[in-house]
Amino acid sequence: MKDKIGKKLSGAEILLEQLLVQGVDTVFGYPGGAIMPVYDKLYGYLDRLHHVLVRHEQGAIHAAQGYARIKGEPGFVMVTSGPGATNVITGVADAMIDSTPVVVVAGQVTTGLLGTDAFQETDLIGMTTPITKWSYQIRRAEDVAWAVSRAFYIAASGRPGPVVLDFTKDAQTGLAEFQPCHCDFIRSYVPVPEVPQTAIEQAAAMINAAERPFVVYGQGILLSGAEKELGDFLDKGDIPAGSTLLGLSALPSDNPHLKGMLGMHGSIASNIMTCECDLLLAVGMRFDDRVTGKLEKYARQAKIIHIDIDASEIGKNIPVDLGIVGDAKQVLARLTPLIEKRRRSAWEHRNEECDAVERERVCLPEIAPADGPVNPGEVIAAVAKATRGNAVIVTDVGQNQMLAARYSRFSQSRSFLSSGGLGTMGFGLPAAIGAKIAAPGRPVCLFVGDGGIQMTVQELGTIMQEKTGVKIVLLNNNWLGNVRMWQELFFGERYSCTRLLNPDFKMLAAAYGIRCENVESREELAPAIERMLADDAPCILNVHVREESLVFPMIPPGKELDQIMLNTQDWYSYGK
Amino acid sequence: MASEKLYEITAYTENQVGLLSAVAGIFTRRSLNIEKLLVYPSRIEGIHKFKILTRTDERRVKAVVAQMEKKVDVVKAFWEVDSERSHKEKEAVEDFLQHRENQSKTAL
Repeated sequence: MKDKIGKKLSGAEILLEQLLVQGVDTVFGYPGGAIMPVYDKLYGYLDRLHHVLVRHEQGAIHAAQGYARIKGEPGFVMVTSGPGATNVITGVADAMIDSTPVVVVAGQVTTGLLGTDAFQETDLIGMTTPITKWSYQIRRAEDVAWAVSRAFYIAASGRPGPVVLDFTKDAQTGLAEFQPCHCDFIRSYVPVPEVPQTAIEQAAAMINAAERPFVVYGQGILLSGAEKELGDFLDKGDIPAGSTLLGLSALPSDNPHLKGMLGMHGSIASNIMTCECDLLLAVGMRFDDRVTGKLEKYARQAKIIHIDIDASEIGKNIPVDLGIVGDAKQVLARLTPLIEKRRRSAWEHRNEECDAVERERVCLPEIAPADGPVNPGEVIAAVAKATRGNAVIVTDVGQNQMLAARYSRFSQSRSFLSSGGLGTMGFGLPAAIGAKIAAPGRPVCLFVGDGGIQMTVQELGTIMQEKTGVKIVLLNNNWLGNVRMWQELFFGERYSCTRLLNPDFKMLAAAYGIRCENVESREELAPAIERMLADDAPCILNVHVREESLVFPMIPPGKELDQIMLNTQDWYSYGK
Repeated sequence: MASEKLYEITAYTENQVGLLSAVAGIFTRRSLNIEKLLVYPSRIEGIHKFKILTRTDERRVKAVVAQMEKKVDVVKAFWEVDSERSHKEKEAVEDFLQHRENQSKTAL
């Protein structure tokens, strides 16, 4: 690296040198015409940059997202222009809404051809502007190091997100003197706003005055590394808390303050406590409609404090009594010394009545049925038991996702990976590849449906080539399960276009040289999971689960948080 | 809507290619019409200025300004109810046009 400083290099080589400056060691990519000068130079860097050749560019970006979310560093993607670039767009949108730091470099036609509808030319900047933190076209070799350094700074700082660099071919081949760049300041961009002491004091006073405070936290805890600060805060004030989907694993599952996941398929307790608290303290979350239910009725009895690093989130969905724009770790660390050490025993145990109902009416029928077909939740609970909560849990989108969120157990942070905001089916398989590359020493278990796996099933080829030891648990019910569920509950049982005729997944796995076991019965399940986890090789468990499964509890869309379905007939009502 | 008013949004920005479409996209996504748009160099060296007039309510104008400030190349953004004076001028023009239209109908 050092011997290149001050030398005339091509823009392509400057990109690779600057990637090393940024600490990048993994590239998720797919070559093509307009990015070939970079791939040519990459040939000499493959000892330092591990290139993961995916089978479709969407796989590259989801793998980079998985890598970023588990490792806590930006993921890097490299693709060609035109279709290569448009194929990453779903993942860019996903990374934007789920605050995931990724940097995408896409090839672009030569500057002289821009705007001429040249072969594989597309207006990538125009297409990605609304779904990136920053998108920029590099037209000169002189700008490469600066743009790459700025891209990584923007992607990873403040509320993280995706950055797209559109790299013209002449900027790749042009020569410039290489000087490493270290961007850590942009005058128009304040990633971590300063929080005045008065705001901290005001928040502390509101917390100390509250009899029934409730914390709702999200991925902001993980992103700012505030796991310990959150735990200390809850301990001192004896304050219960609920987690959003993406906040899962920030607190270990056995933390006594944690009352479960919030929202539509969350725990009864966390939703009821949202409705009964006198102070709601939201940290690093954004009041998604899947969390709030009917907005006008959300926690209307409570005073609300919202702590988030993104100023545009304060008051966006929920009017708040106090908004604090800042880093969750810093704010919580300053807040904890100012709150009174208290016991709030009665309130802390409010969940018990809810939990008893949930356990009897929802959980036990799902995870411990006496007979009948294998339930999907049963599979997830069995994997949680076998991994003792130490695995990285990856999900696709749908019933597999909600059940994995409900029945997985977590003992350490950054252990849950799922497409939350965008709800991208097909996310799971490539994201699991990225997760395993980021955490090679940990078991990575993917829960995916038969619909979702087929959206990006070509990435089995990546697993084969990279020998990525992903454990794929296929919850196979021959339906698009979540849509089927909504059709049953809300669309008069009209099952329009949700029945799937599936391939023989065992044969498909065999074609890719991946071990696969079919599980048809309850008796086969635990031994098969044990065999799956016995080594570090990729494996598919094709579990034939109950075809007409439903996920409960459920707050139907547009309903208030205390309107909770326990099953198709019964609604939760206090103590029943 | 009764709560809708004309708001003037002012943003100070870096002079970056593509920022205009990024800013315009914030309005498009919320189905807000831009009634007036001026982009010009501000009195601060190297800083450009956007003046945008839009009809909406206070909650949405706040959200729009927050989204504008979120853009990396936007330095600061502000909003205010469009000044009473220009509002009155506008009403006067509208009254005048209405009056002329009535006159043209009677002329026929």
